[in-house]
Amino acid sequence: MAGIKALVGLSFSGAIGLTFLLLSCALEDYQKYWPLFVLIFYVLSPIPIFIARRVSDDTDASSSACRELAYFLTTGIVVSAFGLPIVLAHTTIIKWGACGLVLTGNAVIFLTILGFFIVFGGGDDFSWEQW
Amino acid sequence: MSGFLDGIRCGDCECNVDWGERRNTIASVAAGVLFFTGWWIIIDAAVKYPDEGQFHHAYHTCGVIATLAFLMINAVSNGQVRGDSYSEGCLGQTGARVWLFIGFMLAFGSLIASMWILFGGFVVPKKPVYPGIAIFFQNAFIFFGGLVFKFGRTEDLWQ
Repeated sequence: MAGIKALVGLSFSGAIGLTFLLLSCALEDYQKYWPLFVLIFYVLSPIPIFIARRVSDDTDASSSACRELAYFLTTGIVVSAFGLPIVLAHTTIIKWGACGLVLTGNAVIFLTILGFFIVFGGGDDFSWEQW
Repeated sequence: MSGFLDGIRCGDCECNVDWGERRNTIASVAAGVLFFTGWWIIIDAAVKYPDEGQFHHAYHTCGVIATLAFLMINAVSNGQVRGDSYSEGCLGQTGARVWLFIGFMLAFGSLIASMWILFGGFVVPKKPVYPGIAIFFQNAFIFFGGLVFKFGRTEDLWQ
């Protein structure tokens, strides 16, 4: 079953991303736990698209204003997840090395979330009953 | 090892996405990147220069007005302005035009004001110039984000 393989692969990459994030906090040189606040952005990032999928009635329109607003907001959350460590590093609260690790972790985690949407949310028959 | 480049093909890869269908999505994402990058630039400047003498807090008004203009411009659809939408709305076509006019005036006004702040508030008095540049880039990013969000999308895909 292809779904299981994809699920295992995605959880692996999610774990890799979280490892990068925790490395940026817990390594000997860094020891600052401020980057953990990007976890909030990870949790928030899929929410607008979930809401838009629920709200927009699935007609044959290929797009809708609601869905575009959701993409806009999701992009904002993703950009914020990248902006926060850069600002923290710029004000010398965390080091630039830690910032780089957080950015790497961000990229991996958001690609994982994107992968979830592609693998499990691509079809029109997406519904919560599948879960 | 011989011939292992034979499998490479140009042009007809399987991942041919229909860019016409995806146009609205791409425009939304691009606008989101511009808008929120602008706000993070000003956050960076505000954190870096918390002192009122170096970076007067009233200068934040400019970005707030730009954001308000962004919302005003994008809250009205193009169809409403042209008058070819199904419903009139509560103010009709004229109301939509006036609303959009005010929105664009605020957008241009904040962009011009940010340039004024950059030169009048930072370059000429010989202060550290980074907050002024941040204000200018914040307003420019928000302005162009608004334009991309407004004109990059097509409303034909909604029907």
